[in-house]
Amino acid sequence: MVSDVVRTKAPSSPAKKRGHFVQPELWTDFFRGERLACARLLTAVENSPESIPEILDKIIPRLKGAVRIGVTGPPGVGKSTVTAGLARRAVQAGHSVGVLAVDPTSPFSGGAFLGDRVRMQSLSDDHHVFIRSLASRDGHGGLSPSTPYAADLFDAFGLDRIFIETVGVGQAELDVLSCADLVILVLQPGTGDVIQALKAGILEAADLFLINKADLQGTEALLDSLRFLLDVSASQKRRSLPPVLEASALQDKGMDETAAEVERLIQRLVHSGRYREKRRSRLEREIRSAIEQDLWDKFSALAGADEAIRTVSEELLNSLGSPYPFIRETCSRIRVELTDERAGREEKE
Amino acid sequence: MKGPAVKKKNKASWEKNFEESGLRDADFSTISGRPTRPLYTWEDLANGDPQAELGYPGEYPYTRGVHPSMYRGKLWTMRQFAGMGTAIQTNQRYKFLLEKGQTGLSVAFDNPTLYGRDSDHPLSAGEVGKTGVAVDTLADMERLFDDIPLDRVSTSMTINAPAAWIFAMFLANAENRSIAFADLRGTLQNDILKEYIAQKEWIFPPEPHLRLITDLMAFCADQVPQWNTISVSGYHIREAGSTAAQELAFTLADGFAYVEHAIAAGMDIDDFAPRLSFFFNAHLDFFEEIAKMRAARRIWAREMKDKYKAKNPRSWLCRFHVQTAGCSLTAQQPELNIVRTALEAMAGVLGGCQSLHTNSMDEALALPSEKAVEIALRTQQVIAFESGAANVIDPLGGSYYIEQMTNDLEEEARRYFKKIDDLGGVVKAIEQGFFQREITRAAYEYQMALSRRKKFQVGVNEFINPGEKLEIPLLEIDESVEQDQLDFTGRVKAGRDNGAVRDGLGALKAAAASGRNLMPPLLECARRYTTLGEISEALTTVFGEYREQPFY
Amino acid sequence: MADRRIKVIIAKPGLDGHDRGAKVVARALVEAGMEVVYLGLQQTPESIVRAAVEEDADVVGLSILSGAHMPHFRKVRELMVESGLGDRLLTGGGIIPTRDQEKLKELGIEKVFGPGDDLQEIVDYIRNNAGRLRAE
Repeated sequence: MVSDVVRTKAPSSPAKKRGHFVQPELWTDFFRGERLACARLLTAVENSPESIPEILDKIIPRLKGAVRIGVTGPPGVGKSTVTAGLARRAVQAGHSVGVLAVDPTSPFSGGAFLGDRVRMQSLSDDHHVFIRSLASRDGHGGLSPSTPYAADLFDAFGLDRIFIETVGVGQAELDVLSCADLVILVLQPGTGDVIQALKAGILEAADLFLINKADLQGTEALLDSLRFLLDVSASQKRRSLPPVLEASALQDKGMDETAAEVERLIQRLVHSGRYREKRRSRLEREIRSAIEQDLWDKFSALAGADEAIRTVSEELLNSLGSPYPFIRETCSRIRVELTDERAGREEKE
Repeated sequence: MKGPAVKKKNKASWEKNFEESGLRDADFSTISGRPTRPLYTWEDLANGDPQAELGYPGEYPYTRGVHPSMYRGKLWTMRQFAGMGTAIQTNQRYKFLLEKGQTGLSVAFDNPTLYGRDSDHPLSAGEVGKTGVAVDTLADMERLFDDIPLDRVSTSMTINAPAAWIFAMFLANAENRSIAFADLRGTLQNDILKEYIAQKEWIFPPEPHLRLITDLMAFCADQVPQWNTISVSGYHIREAGSTAAQELAFTLADGFAYVEHAIAAGMDIDDFAPRLSFFFNAHLDFFEEIAKMRAARRIWAREMKDKYKAKNPRSWLCRFHVQTAGCSLTAQQPELNIVRTALEAMAGVLGGCQSLHTNSMDEALALPSEKAVEIALRTQQVIAFESGAANVIDPLGGSYYIEQMTNDLEEEARRYFKKIDDLGGVVKAIEQGFFQREITRAAYEYQMALSRRKKFQVGVNEFINPGEKLEIPLLEIDESVEQDQLDFTGRVKAGRDNGAVRDGLGALKAAAASGRNLMPPLLECARRYTTLGEISEALTTVFGEYREQPFY
Repeated sequence: MADRRIKVIIAKPGLDGHDRGAKVVARALVEAGMEVVYLGLQQTPESIVRAAVEEDADVVGLSILSGAHMPHFRKVRELMVESGLGDRLLTGGGIIPTRDQEKLKELGIEKVFGPGDDLQEIVDYIRNNAGRLRAE
């Protein structure tokens, strides 16, 4: 349950522990639409990764096809305000909205100041919106590892537009891509050289560019830089230019147009089959990483495996040797066999 | 005269002896965290120019005081901030204080009033009369000042967001009592910028509030010439946890922002600047506070004369009220607060304040009881009549430490001015959370210093009396106050001409949308017993509401 | 590194704008490894409890210096129980006379803090009591 002590680093093999982490009453409440039940399941995916397989088993069949919209960008550009503006309009258009707001975990204390929710005050009384703050935990300052599962929970819960707002620092921008169906990159004037520093990945893969605080000086210059960079990458990849919009979210200007563009992009996403493609690729990734984790867990469970690696590394430091002889030797001793289904364990030496 | 070699030997001798005598294991920085040296000497002042940096009292740059005779001519005004429950209770407290010898009034309003809301607003529930007096209409203003000679005693009102319409009610009351506006003396706090920074009591976004401020300034310049239209406040910034240098810098920066705004609105600087006043905190670090106040006068004078080119010397004056630091009071061993307040009050006096409020010992726990506020007032009287502090102008002038500290604080303040300029000015800096972050960091560092026992609070983290029981009587605001106020206002609303009220609000909205001076329509609304909340709501339809983007 | 992240909501109900204490406590809790949702000023009991539900908060901390603590604490406690959060820790700080602290105990708010209370004591209280009331 929620208050179990867990290490988020190495969840146990899914094959090993098929117990009940979630009480049946919680599921009943969840599917009946009770917010606290959804919140408790969100906590479970955050704090008890070993409950994730059981949870996914239950909710994936009940996914309703929600669209996940990532909102990313450098700190301070107004992502929360933009998210709140878009969320409000989605509600007005008849959607149920979930917001996952990710803030960085302090690498020193392990704690986190979750301050996005308070920037979305205008949504706090709206019953069609569910806001959940997440700390980035092990996600290297980017998306918390539980975010995709949290989004799935929202989907199964019945929310059909899910905004995922990230910290927007370095690796985070790329992390968002895998989880979101659509990515909005928010920038503000005066950040021209920030674009240079942003990883090429996010610039290429963002579906919509929004220049917020467009009332400030430097909007023209930013538009120019942006269009130049996008042009270069588009002509290389034979893609059309993604839309670039302007807004002042705090004054609620330009947000109608932005919301409309988001809807257009969503429709295109669904009709072009790209939505389905992204889902498939997520499932693939999930399968791969879970099996990877399981293989590793089994290996490191071998008596002394971790210890051996640590010892060898220490020796290599002293001898200035390459780790590859050890790696080759160890790998050559590993044998993987797939036994008949449901016979139990795979074997490794 | 001793030759240089001998002087050097004397200094070296002291330095050696100092090293050898060993140090206590203690933190020797000020309460703001500013490091101090063990000794300040004539060497520190050797390169100074006392004529230019200090001058004479009542003469530019006013470092030594704003008046030529200071307390020899007139003592500071003893002005105790007071307000509780309904206007009737508060009126009684005012009479009590005047009778005990206070020389000016200062009104504390309750939370709903500070936000421009009526006592019957849903968010006012539980808050009416708890931290100040509830004022809903002119009728409350009438009760508040009943039998008090407003033409003879000056009144300060601590109100910001709805200051203009509270002031309109005050004026309407004076009118009804046949007191000429020109005879009214007093101050409105009316400092909206520090609300965004520290106290958080706003209604609209900055621009409409600033417009209301300049409207009020123009109106007073013409009709209420003895009134101080803004009390640019550092007190709250300090209470929120800032350092002394931050309090100094942010307050003066706010002052300059108002000056610039009024000039941009077309006013002549010498028309309004003489009626700007300031409000500083007097915290526990005695010397830092005195130096801060001297630095404030000098910086303001220099900037107003050299940068803003004000011609009238009265525009160069940084006149200020001081309140002893609320955040220094403890709930444990509260009698010690009398001592703290006395030290802080002395700093305010030696810093040259024009008026002073001394906190009561029980204010960490409740609004002041009669006994406690009497002691607080008497503290000022002991200082004024027994201690000799009022005999000599700027008696610490020339102290090596004080002059060095004054210079250091001015320097640090100017560094802050540059930072604020770089960010695009005060309003932009507020939007970017600059002040809020500086203040929050200073607050946290101080709290950690207490936790780590680098800094002390007697009775709290040192010299504790375990298991102490509170033995002083505390003031309680009865739960019936809220209902009483609701009933009273209900009767006022029933008895007024509601058609006239509606018309008045319509005219107000039209003036708000058109850019005309809002004081006349506000005054008219006040006369018709329009409520505070009705006015706030009407203006909100034109100006919009402000939601903070919080910063940590 | 903490293995279990305690989730805390810090809020100021009503009209009191003095947030120095709330911010300092919030920061201390973060430094102690907790996840703090800072709701800030002018919160209603409804908005606070709603956030507590959505965030599945272990702890709700109210900061009230305006003397209006009884009605606010009462209402928040009521809403928490109604929403199924009766087993979470409700605490807070501000200017709360001893007599009222007793009344709060009767409502299920076991401890509140006041001026001069040590930050570390507050952090420890929350850490030690956050999960205590929750059913497994």
